[in-house]
Amino acid sequence: MTGRPLAIGLAVGTAVFLITVPWLIPALIDSFWVSVITEILIWSLFASSVNLLFGYVGLLSFGQALYFGFGMYGTALGIDHLALSFWPAFGLGIVSAMAMALVSGVLAVRLTWHYFAIITVVFSLIFYFLAVSMKPLTGGDDGINFSLPPVLRLGGKAFGLTDPTFQYFFVLVVVSLCLFLKFRVINSPLGKGFLAIRDNDLRASLIGLNVYVLRLIAFVMAGFLAGVSGALFAFFGRYASASYMFYQVSGEAVVWTIVGGAGTLFGPLVGTALFIVIREIVSSHWEHHSLLVGLLAILAVIFAPKGIVGLWNGWITRLDERAAASPRLTLQADP
Amino acid sequence: MSHAVLRTENLTKRFGGLTAVDNLSISLPGGRIHAIIGPNGAGKTTFFNLVTGLLSPGSGRIFFRGRDITGCRPHVISRLGIKRTLQVKSVFPELSVADNLWITRQARDRFLHPFRRAASDLDAKMRVVQTLEQIGLADLATRPAGTLSYGDVAMLEIGMALISEPILLLLDEPTCGMSPAETSRAVAKIRDLARTIDIVIIEHDMDVVFGIADDITVLAQGAILASGSPAEIANDERVREAYLGRPEDEDFVEEAAHA
Repeated sequence: MTGRPLAIGLAVGTAVFLITVPWLIPALIDSFWVSVITEILIWSLFASSVNLLFGYVGLLSFGQALYFGFGMYGTALGIDHLALSFWPAFGLGIVSAMAMALVSGVLAVRLTWHYFAIITVVFSLIFYFLAVSMKPLTGGDDGINFSLPPVLRLGGKAFGLTDPTFQYFFVLVVVSLCLFLKFRVINSPLGKGFLAIRDNDLRASLIGLNVYVLRLIAFVMAGFLAGVSGALFAFFGRYASASYMFYQVSGEAVVWTIVGGAGTLFGPLVGTALFIVIREIVSSHWEHHSLLVGLLAILAVIFAPKGIVGLWNGWITRLDERAAASPRLTLQADP
Repeated sequence: MSHAVLRTENLTKRFGGLTAVDNLSISLPGGRIHAIIGPNGAGKTTFFNLVTGLLSPGSGRIFFRGRDITGCRPHVISRLGIKRTLQVKSVFPELSVADNLWITRQARDRFLHPFRRAASDLDAKMRVVQTLEQIGLADLATRPAGTLSYGDVAMLEIGMALISEPILLLLDEPTCGMSPAETSRAVAKIRDLARTIDIVIIEHDMDVVFGIADDITVLAQGAILASGSPAEIANDERVREAYLGRPEDEDFVEEAAHA
């Protein structure tokens, strides 16, 4: 048996599952889990932003929460202070996250490795403390609440995120579109340039790649992904809070990405799903559930450096190789 | 010396108290294979690093085909047509052999398309296939470059130099660590390349140097000790003393003198 049908089967199964969630999950477990899965999708997009930088460009950012926070506040302030409707507020969130990524990226991408990790943390901490102290504008740790404007009106009927099924599909579509965009970028000439820089930045500059500009482009793209996820999370929670800009939020996304599989398209989704499901199940029974997170992270780094998706891919490749090496064996197995 | 492809004027680079390149004025005419030799620490690799923009000189100027490139950034110099290989073999280890060549080809363009499929560029694809044939790595095209043998990585580096269509190619000890068979394959490739592009080569293997160089410059302590044809260098007293004069090296000095 080759790996291909297995991989296709998994992809189709996942797609069918994701499309039927609003009916399947309430019937099987509880409608509460629909909102958990919605949350998983949003956070996996956030983890994708870490993954784009770490998995494809080789930059480990511990400060992506800053752009998540800007996406969140851009959207929330757009609705609450500027009385914007849904789409302009969404756009404001994304644009402010990208603008912030551009400004901090201009300085940050001059550095690599631990220096880069440190400067991204420092940037996010500066703005975290600013957001906490500017209470009249941001609401500080308490945050600001807003009421949701409708997403669209069709023939006098308003569709809004207050309907959990509509909300779920809205998030699913936006997250899928963003992952599709990321997929296109990774497989484009630009994406190969990213990979070259990740592998060997000195060599990349010697073949004529402008390492600084390419890293900056990747950083702004990661800001886009984080900004979209932040805006979605603001809609999802109907509020924005400075606490989501704290570096712990960034760190969680790094762990999700590494355990799920950095440098793979679906790694962040797998990692995020695993840890949020663990959190939801374990945290009600045991308050130290983060110990489990740490343990899994350590195990992943030691035994599966390319994460869960990396393990799976390796397994599929081995299956393929075995099938290619012994065609007769498979014939015998299938009488 | 009508039109120098590469020329430096009073080039100096100091690292703390050490003068790696000392007031070096060199002029390399086009259409020839130029070898730079010298004992360890003579400033050969530093010279390459200055020319390719990895280091900026303390003083002096560098001209490429009459154009001042002093202080330009590495990717700018690369796009002008100066490509190099590194002393420690340096490729993109997790990319496949074909992708190593592909991105090297693409990097010549200023614009990398963010959304188009990389595989849809047929011209680049064809060039990759051609180059794979030329360097004899067609069978290994899908292997990650990091899993190749040392000699194959060195051939890949030469392939990357080929596919980028340089005007001037700087080779930093290209045959270092190669088996004799790989060395002769690489030397043949370099000779082949030299028909269309200008090559400067740093090499410790004197058989290689005296076998392919048209001109040789000997560096010692960052300055030119001697410069001339292989025969002139082999007979130069100062060179014999400073560099080739050790008894165990006599053999190929003799050999070269009769070559």
